[in-house]
Amino acid sequence: MMILRESIIMKIHYGTAIGALFLTVIHIMMRLTQDFHESLQYENVIANYESVGYAILLELLLILISVHGFNGLRVILLEMNQGPTYEKVVTIGCLAGMAALIAYGSRTIIMTNMGML
Amino acid sequence: MERETGAREGLKGWLNPSKIGKFGIERLAWLLMRLTGLGLLAYFIGHIYETSHILDGKAVWDKSLEMTQTTEGHLFLALVIGMCVFHTGNGIRLMIAQMGYGIGKAERPDYPYKPQSINMKGKACIYATLGMAALAMWYGMAVMFS
Repeated sequence: MMILRESIIMKIHYGTAIGALFLTVIHIMMRLTQDFHESLQYENVIANYESVGYAILLELLLILISVHGFNGLRVILLEMNQGPTYEKVVTIGCLAGMAALIAYGSRTIIMTNMGML
Repeated sequence: MERETGAREGLKGWLNPSKIGKFGIERLAWLLMRLTGLGLLAYFIGHIYETSHILDGKAVWDKSLEMTQTTEGHLFLALVIGMCVFHTGNGIRLMIAQMGYGIGKAERPDYPYKPQSINMKGKACIYATLGMAALAMWYGMAVMFS
């Protein structure tokens, strides 16, 4: 298994945080381009997903927040306890959770973008 | 000597209010950073699941949306906004501190051994972040309840 140094992982953690911050601001601003409640109507949300640019933004946001979130969870769990087996289980568990969430979210984005409803 | 393999007090140590009183606002920021991080991750997983209902058609989407269109739903989303703003603001403070800014210069440790890094700049940033989170929650509620 490839092992990244913690210093590199923390740079990734901070990089994903800054990236996610910018994309989240755009994501929220999209809700405020029209009336908040109106922007969440089915037709408007479908129109958002069908825009390729916005779908790419959502996909990037999904990846950045998943990486940041599950690495944060890993750091918290490693603060609570240590040990070779425990650390391996936590790391693999967080990677698996991250991959599952990205896969599940990507499925929604891709299927909606391609009109597979 | 036996090697310590875990945080001795675990979650009890996290939530013990006397620790916050003893170690100050920095300790509260440390705790809130972890609690908001876990809260936001849980919300994010729920958000991904909720938005996947778009694939099941308009009726399911509308039903799923109804959950957040209640007073409780709006209050929950306001809490999410507050968590998000605090986590972001405090995260930026920590990044800046880790780059070496605002933590003072190294000097000889003399009595009463006050650490340079725990200074008024850091405390002011934490209070400002808490204030911004409260303002963002208020603005979010104003939009959602309008």
